[in-house]
Amino acid sequence: MKELQIKAAELLENGTVNLLIGFCEDLGKRLVPCFIETAAEANILVFNQECKNNLSVYLHKKEVKDAVKIGLVANVATLRSVLQLLSENQLWSLTLTYLTVNGAGELVVLRSAEELEAYVQANFPTCRPEDQEMLDKLNAMSREERWAFWKDQLSECVKCYACRAVCPMCYCTVCTTECNQPQWIKTSAQTSGNFEYHTMRAMHLAGRCINCGECGRICPAGIPVHLLTAQMNQEMEQEFGGKTGWSLKGGYAMNTFKPGDKENFIK
Amino acid sequence: MELKLISSSDIAVFVDGLLKAGKVVVAPVLKQSGKVFFKPVQSFAEVATDYIQTAFSAKEVVFPKVEELFTYQHNEEGGLDIKDHLDRIPETVVWGLRPCDAAGFDYLNKFFLQENPDAYFKARYDKTTLVTMSCNKCDASCFCTSVDSHPGDTKGSDILLTAMDDKFYVEVMTEKGNILINSNSALFTSTDTLSKEAFLAKPLTHFSMDEIKDKIQNAYASVEWKQASMGCFSCGACAFACPTCTCFDIQDEGTQDHGKRVRCWDACGLSQFTKHSSGHNPRNTQTERRRQRLMHKFKYSVENLGVVSCVGCGRCIRVCPSHLNIFENIQSVTK
Repeated sequence: MKELQIKAAELLENGTVNLLIGFCEDLGKRLVPCFIETAAEANILVFNQECKNNLSVYLHKKEVKDAVKIGLVANVATLRSVLQLLSENQLWSLTLTYLTVNGAGELVVLRSAEELEAYVQANFPTCRPEDQEMLDKLNAMSREERWAFWKDQLSECVKCYACRAVCPMCYCTVCTTECNQPQWIKTSAQTSGNFEYHTMRAMHLAGRCINCGECGRICPAGIPVHLLTAQMNQEMEQEFGGKTGWSLKGGYAMNTFKPGDKENFIK
Repeated sequence: MELKLISSSDIAVFVDGLLKAGKVVVAPVLKQSGKVFFKPVQSFAEVATDYIQTAFSAKEVVFPKVEELFTYQHNEEGGLDIKDHLDRIPETVVWGLRPCDAAGFDYLNKFFLQENPDAYFKARYDKTTLVTMSCNKCDASCFCTSVDSHPGDTKGSDILLTAMDDKFYVEVMTEKGNILINSNSALFTSTDTLSKEAFLAKPLTHFSMDEIKDKIQNAYASVEWKQASMGCFSCGACAFACPTCTCFDIQDEGTQDHGKRVRCWDACGLSQFTKHSSGHNPRNTQTERRRQRLMHKFKYSVENLGVVSCVGCGRCIRVCPSHLNIFENIQSVTK
């Protein structure tokens, strides 16, 4: 921890970084995102397995973008989403430095997109076992059972849009849910409108979601919405190959065409 | 106020009796996700008893997330039939809400009824009886004692129950409460002593409203708002979980021939909330939006309705994806 704090202080001190986004402990001992602008504050930084938030989502925020030179204390899921964002030509206005801790507990500093790519590929995460178990369970259900499962879950949705807000891939400045001429999706948080919203979101994230699971983890209603995108991802991988958040030149299935693509779904 | 006692074993009989009498009972129910929600129950067996706080507040009973204001339908004569559905609202008992939620109802009452009474809120509120349960546990997000309340507060409640060993203290606060007790009076015995303090939770007190009320007057210009809102993702989780957030949006859903007008929850933290049709947004950054939310709770509602509209339930801290802390923020901007 000390090593991380010293490195962070050094990067802030020598001007490599103007703003460092990491984790600190709040009064309730929860690990929460923190935003550090001076070397003197670096001693509040904490980083361990419990640092769950995907901090890359903050890179879309105006107050953060204004700092230009940004340091990110990041878990692998966060690094993977930065890689996906770079491959989608986002974040071009920023100079990014990444601090992470590898499996051996050593501090790693990544200073370029190429170093980031190499690190992510060497430490690529697999689907969380508990998620895979739920996906298998859902896939084994009949269509009617699956419908009943999601109907029960989505009836709790209040459309607070926290799932969208914490998602680094949901960076549209105007979301389809906010279009009202025509209104594609009902605003009211009733079960039918909730289905429309979550289906739309899963479709837009197909082949782009990096499976960090944040949307499900933070849902105030406890809905496992991340399973929708995780399922879409597995299907995309199966149909089109390629992994999300794997390479700088990745592109993504929805806007890439390859002559060898299977077209057996066009009938 | 009347003081009574009921034995713990009779609680189920009381609730099941209310159900048998045809009342809708909305009570905390534990769902598979591990979260507790207010749901209509069919029997006391479904009611969760071990919880600090429900995921969302009980405000949904009087201010639903989607309120159908009216339906419209073209008729054969070429006219339009418009109908509200206020007559469908059932007699409802909210069971097991916490004193902070009940205090929230006190605020909702002022907000919806004080100046221009809202027919929909009034129709629901008049048919709702609140049976509150004092808190015997709390967590680090609870801060009711900082906002002029406490775990055994009766504000807003029709009946307050406090668990102690094998029985409950019953404080009957209103006529609505009386009617409920009288419907099954054999279960209750009268008492004239009340010492519930030993059975109440002891949340940390972070500040007093006396000191905040003055200091908040100059907080608008504080430089601390930026830091207080940096972690904010711009979602509506805090507002939707909040027992006193009342912002709404009116939507029409349907076709030219038939449809409905609905009132849906909205949130000042969402970037679209203040966006003008010109594209201009007077609260263009999250710093401005979070300031609005907190200033409304601690300053504007005091000016407009005479009460602080934060009840210290701590839900906004628990549901926030980055656990933004309202009591820390209020302290930092009033330093």
